[in-house]
Amino acid sequence: MGESGKKKVVRTYCALEDGIMCGIRAHVEDGVLTKLEPGDFPEDPELEHICARGMCMVKLVNHEDRLKHPMKRVGERGEGKWEKISWEEAFDTIAAKFKETAEKYGEESVSIGTGGYVSSVLSMIFLKLTNAIQGTYLNLGGYGDAAGPCGDTTSFGSIFAHRYFQDIDDPGMYVLWGANYAETYPLRWRRIRDAKEKGVKLIVIDPLFTTSAAKADQHISIRPGTDTALALGMIKVVLDKGLEDRDFMIKYTVGPYLVRSDDGKFLRDAGHSEKYMVWDSITDSPRLADEEGVVPSLEGTYTINGVECRPSYQLLVDMTAEYTLEKTTEITEIPEEIIEKLALEYVEKKPVASCRGWGLQRTFHGDITHRAITALAAITGNLRNVSYPNIVLNRRDFVGVKGRQCRFMPIMNLYDAAIKGDPYQVKSLWMTQHNMVNQDSNFNKLVNEVIPSLDFFVVSELFMTTTAKYADIVLPASSFYECLGLSTTYELSVYPYLQLMQKVVEPMHDSKPDFEIACEVGKRMGFSEDFDMTAEQAIELLLSADHPSVKDVTIEKLRQGPVKAPMKDEGENWKFRTPSGKIELYAENLQAFGEELPVYKEPLESTRRPEAKKYPLNYFSTHTRYRKHSMFANVDWLKELDPEPVLEMNTADAKERGINGGDIVTIRNDRGKVRIKAKVHEGVRPGIVNIKQGWWEKDYIEGHHQMLTNSELNPSQCAVHEPNMAMLDNLVEVSREGGDE
Amino acid sequence: MSKRYGLVIDLERCIGCHTCTISCKFENSIEKGSGIRVETVGGPQIDTPGGTYPNLSMHYLPIPCMHCNEPPCMEACPVEAISKREDGIVIIDEEKCDGCESCIPECPYGTIIFDEEKDIARKCSFCSHRIDEGQLPFCVVCCETEAMYFGDLNDPESSVSKIISSGNAKTIVKDTDTGPVVYYCPTRSGKIL
Repeated sequence: MGESGKKKVVRTYCALEDGIMCGIRAHVEDGVLTKLEPGDFPEDPELEHICARGMCMVKLVNHEDRLKHPMKRVGERGEGKWEKISWEEAFDTIAAKFKETAEKYGEESVSIGTGGYVSSVLSMIFLKLTNAIQGTYLNLGGYGDAAGPCGDTTSFGSIFAHRYFQDIDDPGMYVLWGANYAETYPLRWRRIRDAKEKGVKLIVIDPLFTTSAAKADQHISIRPGTDTALALGMIKVVLDKGLEDRDFMIKYTVGPYLVRSDDGKFLRDAGHSEKYMVWDSITDSPRLADEEGVVPSLEGTYTINGVECRPSYQLLVDMTAEYTLEKTTEITEIPEEIIEKLALEYVEKKPVASCRGWGLQRTFHGDITHRAITALAAITGNLRNVSYPNIVLNRRDFVGVKGRQCRFMPIMNLYDAAIKGDPYQVKSLWMTQHNMVNQDSNFNKLVNEVIPSLDFFVVSELFMTTTAKYADIVLPASSFYECLGLSTTYELSVYPYLQLMQKVVEPMHDSKPDFEIACEVGKRMGFSEDFDMTAEQAIELLLSADHPSVKDVTIEKLRQGPVKAPMKDEGENWKFRTPSGKIELYAENLQAFGEELPVYKEPLESTRRPEAKKYPLNYFSTHTRYRKHSMFANVDWLKELDPEPVLEMNTADAKERGINGGDIVTIRNDRGKVRIKAKVHEGVRPGIVNIKQGWWEKDYIEGHHQMLTNSELNPSQCAVHEPNMAMLDNLVEVSREGGDE
Repeated sequence: MSKRYGLVIDLERCIGCHTCTISCKFENSIEKGSGIRVETVGGPQIDTPGGTYPNLSMHYLPIPCMHCNEPPCMEACPVEAISKREDGIVIIDEEKCDGCESCIPECPYGTIIFDEEKDIARKCSFCSHRIDEGQLPFCVVCCETEAMYFGDLNDPESSVSKIISSGNAKTIVKDTDTGPVVYYCPTRSGKIL
């Protein structure tokens, strides 16, 4: 892209959303970012895409409220009193404080958390820094994105198995399950749109009437958090009619593997502890699962060396037996005939693409829901071996620091670590690219307990966010249009490309790229060699992997345009990264939690629990097209469309409480209270109230949407992967201001 | 034959993302409002459905200037700031416009906005500055679901002509037929309004 006079157009990408990374042509006039338009993907023109938020990055880059220079707190935390400091002072203070914390409480008590590590691999400089100081690296997936990975880790041994479900060729039906792709994932929606135009049926399962639901052939409204029961009820319908895909179960799942009734473990060969056993129907005897000529049984009870054993498939069948249509309807509040028809369509319209949305994982047992839908998809033979784009970078050398190694902590564990020293004390925190206080559960606990327990809190940000407000030092970070970066592919990628994030404009004000900030602190922590590196050098290092995907790829080549990724698949045998190499519908390691099978558990804060007498409404905070998490809540152009936080509630619930649209209402539970206007309409299921997420504390009349959310840890999620935040699993009551409370 | 530009918007494709609205603001430097707004057809408020839960319906309706064959706004302008180009595009001459706002109530589609900063009337020009350079209107380029088709209605081979001649697209005609050239493919249930 050439420069003509003072105008230029630069090909870069949008780093707003981890894993999406739309190509962008950025227009610059006299050094100022003026306009963004879709960027090209040479081999895939159909992938050119931009959204309203992506365009409004221009507004964020040029926003008058950008943080302009480093500052230190001079009043109380959160009081908003700041003093301008130099970058030198900021770097020196951070290094000194980190060293002080490490000496006093141990190196692991220094923690660093960053979002954006998928958006730009260079953000992994913070992992390198954490490695260097042997601190604690916070995994941020737990803020709403960890329950699905827990479920998929159990079933598939990898955290994102979505492609097996949704990226299948020529599906006979699409099911958006807890997903609103038309509003939150428009690029993927295009595939569904194309299928719809060919006559493929679309079903949306969602308690809310979303844009996707409005576009669907059928909207199935479900009681929140009961999707596991729906999947189990559907499995029973399929089994009762004898429509299960037995070949799939035998070939790809642990279905035929025998489970011992005495300890619940898989039966293994006495001589080979890793070899699984099956019951061979030909010889009517136990055999090694991988033995030639064996035809394993899926059903039955067998006594082997005095121990009663059953194939795990039989255990699943037994467990689902109680999920009659009557019972499933009682739990899900979906009419029996709809459940039955849906179950049969999963067989008749094979292959059915199930798009498992983030809504599913934001209830307390969202991990089990993912496993139950996996069981349904497997039993109906609706999973496919789909390849994925695979760029391999030299991450090891980039993040590695010789002889040094950080610890990892899921973000949901930070609460107890800071407050109680459980599992160990965290005393310093550097949060970047993540608006923790605004976006994470239990706002009051974070502000009143977690942050006050910290000796030192640094935030690097574009704005004085809800989080930055509580920091000791605030650093002005450059946006992704002001620095170099690199986007790669991962298993969920929609763009099979390696792309360069170009420095389209110079860093605004006295801001610095996060990469540079991390390097400066690293040098001052005594790792001058490891952090004596420019962003260009870091990218060159990353591209130095000995892998065909980056062979002959240079920064210069990437400046000319994106580089297509080779595709990778699991091969003809379709092996999984589980201990058995099969899809594990039975999980030995989850027995302690009673979750070895994908059992239905009532949501944590269900309206059927006793607590619901006091707080009878399900409280949601869902995504919206008008913001990206907490970004753009300060952009006037988007606020013209969505001006302020509102509580969405159904007409019937509003009427019962004497509430009219526009009334100021109080939403409360034991964790906190929020005051905002009510938006009364029919698009929310009765019994649910919803505040679309992302608004900042200052946007509310009182309170904040995260003051209502719980920060409970799910023990089985802790055991498998990491605990997730359940922002769709909270109870509240709503009252009209001035009305009876 | 001279060109006659028209726009087709597929309402089954439109997801109400407002990318057209925002792209217009950027392309045409419109601080408040936009040359194209997206209405929700369903409930009385934005993003709300009509009906009673769970029997609901909702769709979105983007409304730019209709570039009417007989534009009432043009008639209403006392200073002749509004004109119709040979290719049918109705434009406001920002130099001539004195901000009297006479045109605004005359548009049956409510597509003319008042730009307080510049003290003039603004509206969609089909991005005539881009058309003159052989480019598409910016909203058409940016539409998230590729729901917009722009082209020459006088060319039977253009995408717009093909859709219209197949009978799949209709204009919204108000009390008086002003000859709008923005066509809508209705939703699957046959709805435009």
